[in-house]
Amino acid sequence: MTKSPKTPPEAAGFEMTMTRTFAAPRELVFRAWTDPALLAKWWGPTGFSVTMKRWIPRQGGTILLDMNAPYGAVYPMGGKFVEVKPPEKIVFESAALDPQGKAIFEILNSVALADLGGKTRLTLHARVLRMRPEARQFLKGQKAGWSQSLDRLEALVIAMSS
Amino acid sequence: MDSLTVAFAALTDPTRRSILARLAGGPATVSDIAGPFRMSQQAVSKHIAYLQRARLIEKHRRGRRHFCRLRAAPIKQVADWAELYRVQWERKFDRLDALLKELQSERT
Repeated sequence: MTKSPKTPPEAAGFEMTMTRTFAAPRELVFRAWTDPALLAKWWGPTGFSVTMKRWIPRQGGTILLDMNAPYGAVYPMGGKFVEVKPPEKIVFESAALDPQGKAIFEILNSVALADLGGKTRLTLHARVLRMRPEARQFLKGQKAGWSQSLDRLEALVIAMSS
Repeated sequence: MDSLTVAFAALTDPTRRSILARLAGGPATVSDIAGPFRMSQQAVSKHIAYLQRARLIEKHRRGRRHFCRLRAAPIKQVADWAELYRVQWERKFDRLDALLKELQSERT
């Protein structure tokens, strides 16, 4: 199981909790999560650009964006908002999409923002909701040994962690 | 289904997670494992069989007794996956942190 102190032992893959404190007021952190133009500036892995299509932060609001890898690949991500409670809570489902727009992985993400007087503590809880058999396509290299499929795994995680 | 999918499915159940946590301390017999649970040994055996099918644990014999133990490789797969997932978020939070600093310096 994961040894990192930031990740509790039950976080071995199917769910995890992370916390991070930001030196910024809660309203601003909330805005960075709910303003699509701001979100596009930090979302997606290092070196990727984000093409923002839909980010409608209200209950039932749609999420749709592309993460463009520096090596040319495009990882589309979809989802919807489950709950948005300014300025303290954002719950949304996100899914890595295949080229046909079908979900490969679906994750429920809960973001809680605590006001620490000028600073903000963010707690992220993520849980795998569904994993479709299509996930296999990312892991085909597995037979050749786990380490050799790490590239594919990373691509999968990139698509998921979005 | 690929092994990671099976492993995740097995891990969605809290009883099965407890069984794995118990076995992380070393091999144990089915009755040892069943001890702390408020359920029949038969019910615990079903969870053990599930974990065995997911190839997260294996049974071996020592004399007349059957022991269960963790299989390290699939557990490592899940842990590696979780670690990558966590690292991706860490990096994302680094960028969010930088953006927040930028936004605040613009204000002043």
